[in-house]
Amino acid sequence: MRWLELTRSTRPAQLLCGYALAGALAAAELAILALALDPKVNDDYRAYYIDKTTTCLNRDAVGRYTPGRTVSFRSNGAREAMPMMVCGWSGPVADGTHSLGETSRLRLAMPPLRDGLLATLEMNAVIRPPQLSQRIVISANGTEVHRVTLSGAAPTTVSFVIPQAVLAGNDRLEMAFDYPDGIAQSPAASNIYNRAIKLTSFRLDRL
Amino acid sequence: MPSGRVEADLALENAARAKSGIRLMVITVAGVPLLFLLSGLAIRYAAFASVSADPSLAAYARAFCKWDCTWYVDISEQGYERFPIPGHTNIGRWGFFPLYPMLVAGIRSVFPFPTLLIATVASPACAYASCLVAWPLMERNMRAYALYCAFLMSGPFSFYFAAFLTEPLFVLLTSCLFLALKRSNYLAAGISCALLSATRPVGVLAVFATVIRMFEDHRARGGSVIGFPRWLLGRPDLLVAILISPAGLFAYILYLTVTVGDGFAFVHVQRAFGRVAGDPLLFLWDGLSYHPMSSWLPTAPQWSALTAIAGLGLSVMLAVRRQYGAALFCAIAITLPLTSNLASMVRYVVGLAPLSMLAAVLLSASKPTFAAALIFFLATCYFMTVAWLGGYLALA
Repeated sequence: MRWLELTRSTRPAQLLCGYALAGALAAAELAILALALDPKVNDDYRAYYIDKTTTCLNRDAVGRYTPGRTVSFRSNGAREAMPMMVCGWSGPVADGTHSLGETSRLRLAMPPLRDGLLATLEMNAVIRPPQLSQRIVISANGTEVHRVTLSGAAPTTVSFVIPQAVLAGNDRLEMAFDYPDGIAQSPAASNIYNRAIKLTSFRLDRL
Repeated sequence: MPSGRVEADLALENAARAKSGIRLMVITVAGVPLLFLLSGLAIRYAAFASVSADPSLAAYARAFCKWDCTWYVDISEQGYERFPIPGHTNIGRWGFFPLYPMLVAGIRSVFPFPTLLIATVASPACAYASCLVAWPLMERNMRAYALYCAFLMSGPFSFYFAAFLTEPLFVLLTSCLFLALKRSNYLAAGISCALLSATRPVGVLAVFATVIRMFEDHRARGGSVIGFPRWLLGRPDLLVAILISPAGLFAYILYLTVTVGDGFAFVHVQRAFGRVAGDPLLFLWDGLSYHPMSSWLPTAPQWSALTAIAGLGLSVMLAVRRQYGAALFCAIAITLPLTSNLASMVRYVVGLAPLSMLAAVLLSASKPTFAAALIFFLATCYFMTVAWLGGYLALA
C-alpha cells in the first residue's frame, strides 16, 4: 500500500497508524530534547562552554619543573614552556607567550618542598591607548599570592613569594593569572580573545 | 492514398517529433550542466596551475581544501571527539554537521580512495544533480537554467561546489525539498528537510517552507486561515512530514548527548570559535565600516556584509514573487549566523539555492544581461578560484 493511501485514508485503522507514527516521532524528539536540556558534563566543560564563567578551559597539561631554572616563554623555550600551559595562552612566539582571555593558567609538577618559593616572572603589559596599564591577580593553588599593575609596554620583572602553606601537600603548583583589564579585540569580539600580558620568562627559587 | 492512412502517418510523425523533441530536451538539460562542469574544472585547474608548482590531481584536491574543509576531512576519517578533546584543544568538531562527511566516508568504504579525492568527485556530482533538480523548479526556462548551471559549476563561487564543504549537498537537498513542495509531495519534502537538518545547522529551518506550502495548499482549497491548524491535525501524513523534518538534527543531538554528554555541543562549541551572540545590524554595520587601508577594493568584512545584504534583498524579492516559504527560509538562514558575526557569510548566501535560482532568473530576463552574466561568471571563476586558493578571508 502506498504511503499516501495509508496516511490520507479516512479508514480509522490507517488513520490511527498515521497518528501513531506522528506521535512516535514527536515523543522521540521530545525525549531527545529533554536529554539535551540536561547535559551530563564535567565542571570544566560546563564552566567554559555552557555557563561561560571562564575563558580558560582546564586541560590535563602538567609541565615538569625543578626550582632554580629559568624557563623562557619565547619561541626558543617552547619545548619546556608548552607542557606547563594549561589554558589562556597563545604562542610562544618571538616576543613571548601572549595571554588569551580573562585568565591564564600554568601547572607544574614539583618535587616536595619544605619551604616556600620565590617566583620571578618577566612580562609586558599589552596596552592600547587610552588604556596604558594592566592589573594582574596571581594565585597559586587557588590562593591569591600577588597583585601587580604593569604600566607601559616595557618588560617588567615581577617577584613575589609563594608561601609554603599553599604548597603543602601538593605535588603540583597551579598558577592562575587573572586580568581584570584585558583588552577586547573589538567591541563585538568574544572575551576569549582578550589580551593582557606577554610572559617572557618564568623562574622559581626555593626560599 | 486513403485519408485514414495519411492521418495515421501524420500522427506517427507528430509522435516521433514529440519523442525526438523530448529526447533533445533531456540531452540539453543533462548536457548544459555537464558542459559547465567541464568548463569549471578546466578554469579552476588553470587557476590552480597558475599558483601551484605541483600539477597532480592529489595536489589539486589538497589545494582546494581550505578553511572548514579540513574539519570535514577529519570528521569523515576520525569521526567526532569526546570530551576532553585530544590534543589539548578547546575546539571540538561538533560544530560541523555529519551528513556530508558521513556520505564521503560511506563512499570511501566501498571505493578505497583518499577522502579528499572522493570529495573532489562527490561535490561536483552533488552540484550537477542540483542543476538537474533545478530544471523543473525554474519553470523550464532554458536561459535561466543555463545561467544557474554556469553559476554553480563554472561561476565565481564554483570552488565551493568543488571542495569538501557541505554546500554541494546542501544545495542539492534544498532543491529536492523545494521540488517536492512544488509537487505538494510533503513526505519527500520532510525527508529532504531531515537530511538538510543533518547537513548544516540552518537546514532544519526549511520546515517553515514546508508549513507555509501546506498553508498555501489549504487556502487554495478554500480553507480559512483559522481552520488551518484543525485541517493540519486532521492530516496525519502532513504531521508526519513536519515531524520528520528535524529528524537529522535530533539524531545528531542524540549522538552528541551519548558521546559528549551535551546534545547542544554543536552550539556550545561556537564559544571556542569566538562567536558571540549580538545584534545582526551591529555586525553588518561593523563590517561595512571596515574600510580598506590602501586599496580601493572592499575589505573582507565589507564583502561579507554586502553579500548578507544582497542575500536579504533577494529574500525580499522571493517574497514579492510570492515564494514565501523560500523567502522565509533564506532570510532566517542568513540572519541566524549573522547574530554571531559575519564569518563565512559569502559561503552561506551562495549556498542558498532559491537565491541563486532567483538571481539566474532575473539575470536571464533579456539576452544581453544573460550574455553579460555568463561571461562575467566564467571570467571571475578564474580570479575567485585564485583568491580561494590564496585563503582570502571573505571566502572562508
